[in-house]
Amino acid sequence: TITEADIEDILDELELELISNDVAVEVAESIREELKKELVGRRVKGKSEIPKVVEEGFREALLSVLEPKKEVDLMETVEKARQDGRPAIIMFVGVNGSGKTTTIAKVAKLLKDHGYSVVIAAADTFRAAAIEQLEEHAERLGVTLIKGERGDDPTAVAFNAVQHAEAKGKDVVLVDTAGRAYTDVNLMEELKKMKRVLEPDLVVFVGDALAGNDAIEQAKTFHEYVGIDCAILTKVDADAKGGAVLSISKVTGAPILYLGVGQDYDDLKAFSPEWFVERVIGGEES
Amino acid sequence: MIGFADRLAEITKKIKGASIIDEDFVKEVVRDVQRALLEADVDVKLVLELSKRIEKRALEEEPPAGVPKRDYLLRIVYEELVELLGGEKTEGLDIDLSRDVNVIMLVGLYGMGKTTTAAKLARYLQRKGYRVGLVGADPYRPAAGEQLRQLAEEVDVPVHVEDVDDAVEMAVKGVEALKDECDVVIVDTAGRDRLSEDLIDELREMAERIEPHEVLLVLDATVGQKAGDHAEAFHEAVQLTGVVITKLDTAAKGGGALSAVARTGAPIKFVGTGERVDDLEEFNPRSFVARLLGI
Ligand SMILES: Nc1nc2c(ncn2[C@@H]2O[C@H](COP(=O)(O)OP(=O)(O)OP(=O)(O)O)[C@@H](O)[C@H]2O)c(=O)[nH]1
Ligand SMILES: Nc1nc2c(ncn2[C@@H]2O[C@H](COP(=O)(O)OP(=O)(O)OP(=O)(O)O)[C@@H](O)[C@H]2O)c(=O)[nH]1
Ligand SMILES: [K+]
Ligand SMILES: [Mg+2]
Ligand SMILES: [Mg+2]
Repeated sequence: TITEADIEDILDELELELISNDVAVEVAESIREELKKELVGRRVKGKSEIPKVVEEGFREALLSVLEPKKEVDLMETVEKARQDGRPAIIMFVGVNGSGKTTTIAKVAKLLKDHGYSVVIAAADTFRAAAIEQLEEHAERLGVTLIKGERGDDPTAVAFNAVQHAEAKGKDVVLVDTAGRAYTDVNLMEELKKMKRVLEPDLVVFVGDALAGNDAIEQAKTFHEYVGIDCAILTKVDADAKGGAVLSISKVTGAPILYLGVGQDYDDLKAFSPEWFVERVIGGEES
Repeated sequence: MIGFADRLAEITKKIKGASIIDEDFVKEVVRDVQRALLEADVDVKLVLELSKRIEKRALEEEPPAGVPKRDYLLRIVYEELVELLGGEKTEGLDIDLSRDVNVIMLVGLYGMGKTTTAAKLARYLQRKGYRVGLVGADPYRPAAGEQLRQLAEEVDVPVHVEDVDDAVEMAVKGVEALKDECDVVIVDTAGRDRLSEDLIDELREMAERIEPHEVLLVLDATVGQKAGDHAEAFHEAVQLTGVVITKLDTAAKGGGALSAVARTGAPIKFVGTGERVDDLEEFNPRSFVARLLGI
């Protein structure tokens, strides 16, 4: 059987490997502990078999973290709302500069390609030229943008967009929100209020693949305030490690739906846990 | 989760509380420091190097007369961290009014806060009495020029965004347009990463043409293990003269910036502490580390 002493070193290595991949320390430690519990006492034919057993266990442990606590499918959500005769409402949230607005443009393109009609709500009324940024995307994509003035109440702008979509029989409303520091309670409360008013079908957390330990605090706090249904990780193309997927899954249980892999509209890739796990285990560089 | 500052405060308490400092105790403290630094996103290799140095010094060096051993251990941890940051003093910007014009270029990864920082720096320099201008050189991001224009209006400085789709030309024309009326022009560039070779080449060419006196890497406090690699690529292309860490108003620790400094030798010069144009502070290594150590 495998003893603790047999695997201490290898577990240390795996933990460091996770941390090197930008998995939060806390999450890396908990994966290590799980794995240890799983392996110690397990029967093996000989010591030489241990590395293989550990690798298999490690793979399983990672996959189990990425196992969503509930299934979420973007297209199904939109289709279901359409069948109910109402627009699906999808809110995008995240910290400053994580890629929300760009991701919304990509998702709008994806939905449009699937034959759905899209309305975008420019509910970031705070940042300079946030509205103009979306305007340009909406124009290029040929989708409707509902906007207000800089400084307007973001919830009111989003609400207008929903009313517009209802009146025109549109299929989906994508709500862009201002990036915010999760440490700012007022801004988090504002988001909570928006959610209460809009009752969205989905809240999508947009996280940055370049982020390390902070991903966990971000996901935790946004989850606490608005509840995260699923996540999209951006900038995966930017030589990013992307361990944030494990951190986000671990603290929210929300599935990662897509990865952002570039700045073009088609640079949105379906996420697969297996792909990520191979990337970590294979030690492949980005 | 226990944050970096909490961790180090804990370590500090542990050190202060220890009556004898033996090898086991030193090792335990070093392990704690290690964990804290990893939680702060400092490069894994760098953490291992640093902790080895701390351990070695703690075991070998005799504290000066009158300094209790435990205080000395604490001082070693502190010193090594400050050392990592490039020393106790903060370097200011290289601005010389006898020059035709002083050029500051801001570079970095996507969404780090370059454009916002350009406006913050404009305000900061304006308050010091300089005539400052902003130049837009990001032809890619939708409304990047408009963002800079609105921010320029807010800080009330001239701005030039040449209406072409070539980033180098935008920078050259912009500096040209503003250099007579300004002492300092700040050039805002598009986000890019070490793998985007064309964009890195574009940056190199831009720097060759506008010959910046300062090239600041803008890095947000959330960036993790890859910060050092990216910083190095920017450094190779355009010779960084400094780093600005943004988004320090969150709980993110900014350990990525330590890796960037370690790999390039470029010192941290400013920190961004919010979204508004006034939210910029001169970097203070002493208080930064003191804050981290909880002392
Ligand atoms: N390389 C790459 N860049 C991306 C990706 N997603 C977003 N970006 C870039 O990241 C930067 C910030 O993106 P935005 O969409 O403006 O981010 P945001 O979250 O809306 O930002 P705020 O609204 O200011 O909080 C832009 O330069 C985008 O082009 C991606 O998947 N890959
Ligand atoms: N909380 C916080 N947000 C910041 C800070 N600095 C910038 N931001 C925000 O970060 C986001 C990105 O800022 P930008 O200035 O657009 O970043 P950028 O590097 O120019 O982005 P690209 O040009 O797309 O690469 C915006 O939402 C800013 O308001 C800061 O110090 N704290
Ligand atoms: K001048
Ligand atoms: Mg945005
Ligand atoms: Mg910018």
